[in-house]
Amino acid sequence: MTRYFKVQIVFFFRLIIGIIFIYASWDKIAHPAAFATAIGNYHAVPFGLENMMAMVLPWLELFVGVCLVAGIMVDGAAIMCILMNIVFIFAISQALARGIDIECGCFSVSKEGGENIGLQTILRDIAYLAMSFVILYRNEKRLEFFPKPV
Amino acid sequence: MDIRTPLGQSVFLLLFSCIVGFGSNLVRGDSIPWIAPQIEIAESITPETESNEPVLAAISLSQAKNLFDDGTLFVDARDDAYYTAGHIQGALKTAFLMELIFTIEAIQDKNAPLVVYCGDPGCGDSEDLAYNLQDSGFNKLYVFKGGWLEWSKAGYPSERDQ
Repeated sequence: MTRYFKVQIVFFFRLIIGIIFIYASWDKIAHPAAFATAIGNYHAVPFGLENMMAMVLPWLELFVGVCLVAGIMVDGAAIMCILMNIVFIFAISQALARGIDIECGCFSVSKEGGENIGLQTILRDIAYLAMSFVILYRNEKRLEFFPKPV
Repeated sequence: MDIRTPLGQSVFLLLFSCIVGFGSNLVRGDSIPWIAPQIEIAESITPETESNEPVLAAISLSQAKNLFDDGTLFVDARDDAYYTAGHIQGALKTAFLMELIFTIEAIQDKNAPLVVYCGDPGCGDSEDLAYNLQDSGFNKLYVFKGGWLEWSKAGYPSERDQ
C-alpha cells in the first residue's frame, strides 16, 4: 500500500484511537468479573478461557492506547489495534448472526452504562479498524519517540 | 524478539499485557479464577417442586431418564431440521424463545423442572438456552449434557416429527 497519509491526519487518528482505547480499558480493569461475564455472553470463547481474556484484554487496550498517544512503538500498537478490532467485529457479528441479544461490554461493563450490540457497534469497529490501518501505513513518523525514526 | 520491528513490538505489547494482567489478578482483592466455572454435574436430583430454590445443573443420561419417567418436560435446543429428524419423546422445540416460554408456561409452572438438551456433549446450545430460560424466570433447569447422541444410542423413547 502506498504511504500517502498526511502527518496531521495520522496524529489525529492516533489521538482518537488512543484515547478511546484508554477510556474503554478503564471500567474493565476496575471490574474484571463483570467483564468476564460480558465475554462469556458472546459464547465465542471455549473452555472457560473468558476469565484469562478478561485479565489480559483491558491491559492490552490500555497499553496500546498509551503507546498510540505517547508515540511509543506506534507500529506494534497499530497492529495490535487492528487485530483487536478484527476480533471484536468477528465476536459481535457471530453473536448478531445467532440472534443472541447481549450487552456490548465495549466501554462499560456495569449494568447502568451498558449498551447492546447491533449494526452500529460493528460499523464503529470498522471505522476504528480503518483508522488503525491509516496509522500503520503512515507516510512520515512525526511525534514518535521510540523507536527513534530514522 | 526485536523491539524495533513492528511485529516484535506487538509481541512485546501482548506479553507485557499478559504479565501485568495475570500479575494484577494475583494481588488484587476482587480477583477472578483462571478458568470460568462450568455448570457442575448434579450428584442427586429431587424433581419434586417442594423447594423453590433456583437450580441450574447438568445431569447425566440416567438422571435424564429418571426425570423422563417422572414426566418432566424436555426442551430440544437444536435447530428445526434436527428436531424434525428425531427428538426425545414429547420434547418441545425451540423456534423462538418467547414462543417457547409461552408454550412452557401454558403447560406448567415456572418452578416445575425442565430438562434442556442439544446434540452431543460438545454443543453449547442447551447451556445457552438454559441461561436464557433462567433469565426469563424459570427456576428448575437441568442441562442434559449427553443430549440426543446419548439418548438415541441408549434407545430410549424418541419420536420423529410428522
